[in-house]
Amino acid sequence: MTQSSEEQQRGFRRHGDNALIAEFSQSESEVLVNLVEQIIELLGERKDNHSDDPLAVMVGITSHDSPPEDDVLLRLLPNAYADQVDASEFRRYTEATLRAKKTAHAMSMRIDLKSAADGYVEVDHDGANAWLGAMNDIRLALGVRLKVEENSHEDLELLAPDDPLRGVYAVYGWLGWLQESLIMALMDQAL
Amino acid sequence: MVKIDEKIDEAIKEIFSSDRPWITIVWDDPVNLMSYVTYVLMELFGFTRDKAHELMMKVHTEGRAVVSFGSREEMEHDVARLHEYGLWATLQREDQNA
Repeated sequence: MTQSSEEQQRGFRRHGDNALIAEFSQSESEVLVNLVEQIIELLGERKDNHSDDPLAVMVGITSHDSPPEDDVLLRLLPNAYADQVDASEFRRYTEATLRAKKTAHAMSMRIDLKSAADGYVEVDHDGANAWLGAMNDIRLALGVRLKVEENSHEDLELLAPDDPLRGVYAVYGWLGWLQESLIMALMDQAL
Repeated sequence: MVKIDEKIDEAIKEIFSSDRPWITIVWDDPVNLMSYVTYVLMELFGFTRDKAHELMMKVHTEGRAVVSFGSREEMEHDVARLHEYGLWATLQREDQNA
């Protein structure tokens, strides 16, 4: 686990009794929309389109019983059991639901950003939880790509200015800070 | 009053508790924020902030912590909810080696 660094920005804050707000510049909003759309796309790639059994589709059973080969997807859709047989069985019955829930978090965040007037995003408790889940999925995805480990932050700080991962790491850090601001606002508040 | 032999008493208890030897484990992860793990445990399990913080610290320092126990179905439900929020969780029998 990690602690986010503090910065002189505002992030999310309480707004009245039942809401939390944050203000984003146009470029910040575009970065967030871009990232959240990539998560939606990634989760969609895993979708099973060839199930012939409407009942299986209805109750969320997919033919997927092997873990994703992609490291990012595997982190987003992890095994529930150490035992491979149990893990496969569980995945077959639950992965579609997990993908749908994660996609719903991401869609909620995307809509909030797209419909924000003057960059002001306002969310209630459920909306905030969707943002937290979606931001966390983005950070998990970036973390896998950056190969973040318990003590790798020093190495990542030292990336060369022209290293494309440097920008990715900056976004990763910013998202952590934004997520932290929302958690702090939620914990200070009984919604 | 009927006096039940201690061994029989234990065997009966075993039968009635046999549906509860499953546990949910949360594993340490280098990406998830400490505050986020605390918050998710509060939200999903209704833990107080102190209790959630204590479990989070256990995950952080020991690499894992048991966050719930019960029947296999209950633990599968808990793991699914933890996965929904990106925590790294598995379930297993209580007496099974990790």
